[in-house]
Amino acid sequence: MESKPQLISRLRSIRRLARPLALLFVGVVVLSIGVGYFVTFLYRNVALPPLFGVITLQFLPLWIRGLLFLTLGLGAIGVALWRLSDLAVISLEAAPNSGEVVVGLGRARGAPQMVVISGGSGVLITASLGHIVSRLTCITPVQDSVEYYYRASSLFSFENVTFVVPTPAPLDVELTLNSGARTDVRSKRSHDERFAQQHVVDMRLVSADQQPVEVTQATLDAIAEADVIILGPGSLFEGILPNLLIPRLRDALRASSAMTIYICSLMTEPGMTTGFGVGEHIRQIVRFGGFAPDYVLVNAQRIDSEVRQVYAAANQTPVFLALEELEETTVSATDQITTRDILLDGSVVIEADLTTSVVQLTASLDNPNERRTVRVLRHDPEKLASAILEVLRRA
Amino acid sequence: MTTILFEDEGYAALLPLVYSRPTYDLRCGIFTLRERVAAQTGAQPSAICRPHLAVVYGSGRWPLHLLSRSEPVVLVNGRALETAWLPELLDAPLNTLLLADAGVSLLGTPVLLGAKLSPHLASAVLGYLLAQRGAAALAELMRFCAAREVKTKLLSFPWDLVNENGAQIASDCAIHQRANGWPSAAARPPEAQGIVISAPERVFIHPDAWLHGPLAIDARGGPIVIDAATIEPFSFIQGPCFIGEGALISSAKVRGETSIGPWSRIGGEVEASIVQAYSNKHHEGFLGHAYLGEWVNIGAMTTNSDLKNTYGNIRMTIEGLGQVDSGTLKLGCFLADHVKLGIGVHLNGGAMIGTGANIFGVHFAPKTIPPFTWGGQVFREYRIDSMIDVTRKVMGRRKIPLTADGEALLRDVFAQTRGDRTEMRGTTSLRAAPADEAALAAAEAAVLE
Repeated sequence: MESKPQLISRLRSIRRLARPLALLFVGVVVLSIGVGYFVTFLYRNVALPPLFGVITLQFLPLWIRGLLFLTLGLGAIGVALWRLSDLAVISLEAAPNSGEVVVGLGRARGAPQMVVISGGSGVLITASLGHIVSRLTCITPVQDSVEYYYRASSLFSFENVTFVVPTPAPLDVELTLNSGARTDVRSKRSHDERFAQQHVVDMRLVSADQQPVEVTQATLDAIAEADVIILGPGSLFEGILPNLLIPRLRDALRASSAMTIYICSLMTEPGMTTGFGVGEHIRQIVRFGGFAPDYVLVNAQRIDSEVRQVYAAANQTPVFLALEELEETTVSATDQITTRDILLDGSVVIEADLTTSVVQLTASLDNPNERRTVRVLRHDPEKLASAILEVLRRA
Repeated sequence: MTTILFEDEGYAALLPLVYSRPTYDLRCGIFTLRERVAAQTGAQPSAICRPHLAVVYGSGRWPLHLLSRSEPVVLVNGRALETAWLPELLDAPLNTLLLADAGVSLLGTPVLLGAKLSPHLASAVLGYLLAQRGAAALAELMRFCAAREVKTKLLSFPWDLVNENGAQIASDCAIHQRANGWPSAAARPPEAQGIVISAPERVFIHPDAWLHGPLAIDARGGPIVIDAATIEPFSFIQGPCFIGEGALISSAKVRGETSIGPWSRIGGEVEASIVQAYSNKHHEGFLGHAYLGEWVNIGAMTTNSDLKNTYGNIRMTIEGLGQVDSGTLKLGCFLADHVKLGIGVHLNGGAMIGTGANIFGVHFAPKTIPPFTWGGQVFREYRIDSMIDVTRKVMGRRKIPLTADGEALLRDVFAQTRGDRTEMRGTTSLRAAPADEAALAAAEAAVLE
């Protein structure tokens, strides 16, 4: 039951329609009088069957007929106005930044709250989505210092964004490679040829005092209140999975009713995901997080040979959907569209153009003075925003 | 070290004074809290506050740069009065938490007074502080920090400003002298003739101050600090007292426990009151135990009562709490920023007039007047466009432009307080009759011409 102020507020929303509705009402009344004259003319000049007398309630006195129609008419108007007040009415002349548009959109559908679990430059790409959400909480990797993210973000004009640490102090994360070697997640392996063909087979948190890992309340609150949780983009083993090793955070993610979207890496990472396809990326999330993302966004754009060669020289290959991974499909139906989707390890995989190529200045490790420019692939914030919004619309 | 002032839930009990400024920019003593921390630390503190104030008074709506440096972050509650505990906090180990007793405020105890944190831990509470959720931030920090309670005073209600002003002037004097080092009047007496000073060792006068005798300065009750102000002949100044830069004292009686903020003009008699800055009470009339915000103007012979004939405690209306006993016998009026009072208006003790109200043509004004109210015998909403026009003129006279952000702030406050004015119309007989509405509109138009 709505309170009196709420009732008034709801009905007040149709004030902009008051004049056109009043004019419409006058028009309908005048039209009815016209119809009435024609009916009266027919009654007086044409012999009608007795059934018409029953239909027009002529067995009732005139004042009762009048009262009956007045009551029915007023009831219909009341129901119509009530239904009308359930719609957000915004003037077409309202400025885009006016409170009216915001109120209208807010009534129609509140902007979602978003959580991003990622690290490195990937989290800065998703932080640029702040303008499309009401709140964007970036949960930084458990091993990272948060100042880096605040420092980098001060170069941009992010809105509605905060960076939150999952634990009160950074923790070490140890990776085990398929060779059996153990290494800290922060150690640089990408340029070490010894690790180039290896990948991670296990990882664990290293807590100095062996106490249960505490989780910040801001992290748990953000996950509990989120409408959508984005994993990535960025390194799977550096940006996403370390946080999933924290038991309370993992439990919170599993308990959350938010939609989860994983933005798959564009390229494999030497020493971490060498040889991984899309399916293997998802299976690592299932393995360490205990849940499969609802949606996985995979880059579908063709990569030209020049860029591919640059990455190949660095022992990296594109992460595409492999043919053998396309076998399982599902039909997804929403209130607007029905699509035939690829289902991979419990996640709906959506292929989309997500990238842009940028020119980057690089230096040789052997000879730092030898610099050259190369074209590299990066997730495009605008394309990513479009893809995420599309997924939200579908859901 | 990054020092950040923040607002907690307690700001609500200080409304409407803090609709258009954060709690840490209320003057009490010589300084606002922001000025006090700057004087103590030698650096301007950063600040976070409610969203509509963030651009003008804070470090921006999303101040992500505050945690960008790998150095300790010191949080200071914006309702703190004295800050004798601050040097100890600055020297404390990382992740130290200071608590204060909330005192008579109804928020419950304890309150987050201050903290010295790593940027890592500060990021865990930044979101709460951006939403003025001090209690949530405190609960989180209690899990990870070493906590200690400090005996200190927090601003809980508007009358705390007035009640604490005298003591605060005395304690601020030491901070002011450390920061500025002006010689006392005993060491360097004023050069003008006819200036009588009692206890000159407690009088500190800026070298550029203009003092025109005859005048009397009596610091026996407490220190007197006079910045580069102008004191006209036949004035009487009693300590403890502070007179800010650019202020003009026009043959006025300024009694003890009074702070006159910068660029204010004071005449008549003022006692135990605070004038924030840029406000005029230039003519005769009494102002006692009162607080005036910025850009306030009081017409000639306008006077406030600060003592009931029954000698009972004065009660005030506090937003969200209703009538609250102030626990004090002497309390004057509280005028928020941009309030304008016409000539000969009489105000009750404990009167609270909201931001931007324009009151005239009334002998006794109501005790509580919502923000952006226009009128006297009858009241109606002050049209925001008219109010902005007047504000632009008022500020322009002091060569200070009303910026687009400043205008947006006032419009935000107007929108936030619309409900207050609706309630006023619904529950009192103050609604204007159509004829009165027309007269008010004509008066408003005449003012704007």
